[in-house]
Amino acid sequence: MVPVKDRIIKVTFNADVHASLQWNFRPQQTEIYVVPGETALAFYKAKNPTDKPIIGISTYNVVPFEAGQYFNKIQCFCFEEQRLNPQEEVDMPVFFYIDPEFAEDPRMVNVDLITLSYTFFEAKEGYKLPVPGYN
Amino acid sequence: MSTAMNFGTKSFQPWPLDKGSFPLDHFGECKNFKEKFMKCLRDNRFENALCRNECKEYSECRMERQLVAAEPLEKLGFADLMDGKSEAETSFDEKATTGHVHGCWKQSSPH
Repeated sequence: MVPVKDRIIKVTFNADVHASLQWNFRPQQTEIYVVPGETALAFYKAKNPTDKPIIGISTYNVVPFEAGQYFNKIQCFCFEEQRLNPQEEVDMPVFFYIDPEFAEDPRMVNVDLITLSYTFFEAKEGYKLPVPGYN
Repeated sequence: MSTAMNFGTKSFQPWPLDKGSFPLDHFGECKNFKEKFMKCLRDNRFENALCRNECKEYSECRMERQLVAAEPLEKLGFADLMDGKSEAETSFDEKATTGHVHGCWKQSSPH
């Protein structure tokens, strides 16, 4: 994978929680500058400020929609139940890269900002997490 | 997010997480390395390319504490950062052969 060094992309980060989840959840950086083909690391932070353990599960979204197909998460904390004990605070890393083919897609020529959004929900039995896909 | 009526776009499968779940660092064992990385970002206007060393160290920490599967660092493209050789950019097929790539470094020459 060869980095495309002349295509600098700004990645910004959003963090949301569903109304019923009593976690504090935020990105640890507002933005990071990457190029296609270069893997990157970013952090979120979550805290359970209550006196009960809470299990959360997250999904993610990428805008613009068309850029999302080039956004590859190597590893992240999404789609797996994550338990935070009372008062526990934890760093949540995301390893990702933007596929070098992004730089060859004429529809992407004006895209220099990609926003990654994570939303945490409280994990409950029978809850089906919406998994993003582009099929 | 608006409804995506993009029937003409190429279909895309969200890339599966190759190593399965990604355990969180509940005991903060790698927090120092995370702080070093974040400081590097803040000192370098959030340019990821300038913080690859810190990223490598964070990854090593996670591997040492078995928060992620250990891999030889040379295989992960850190050879240039380890012995001071200049980086060689090559095409790379790790994604195709192993189904995943590893984070925060450029792949060095295949051996």
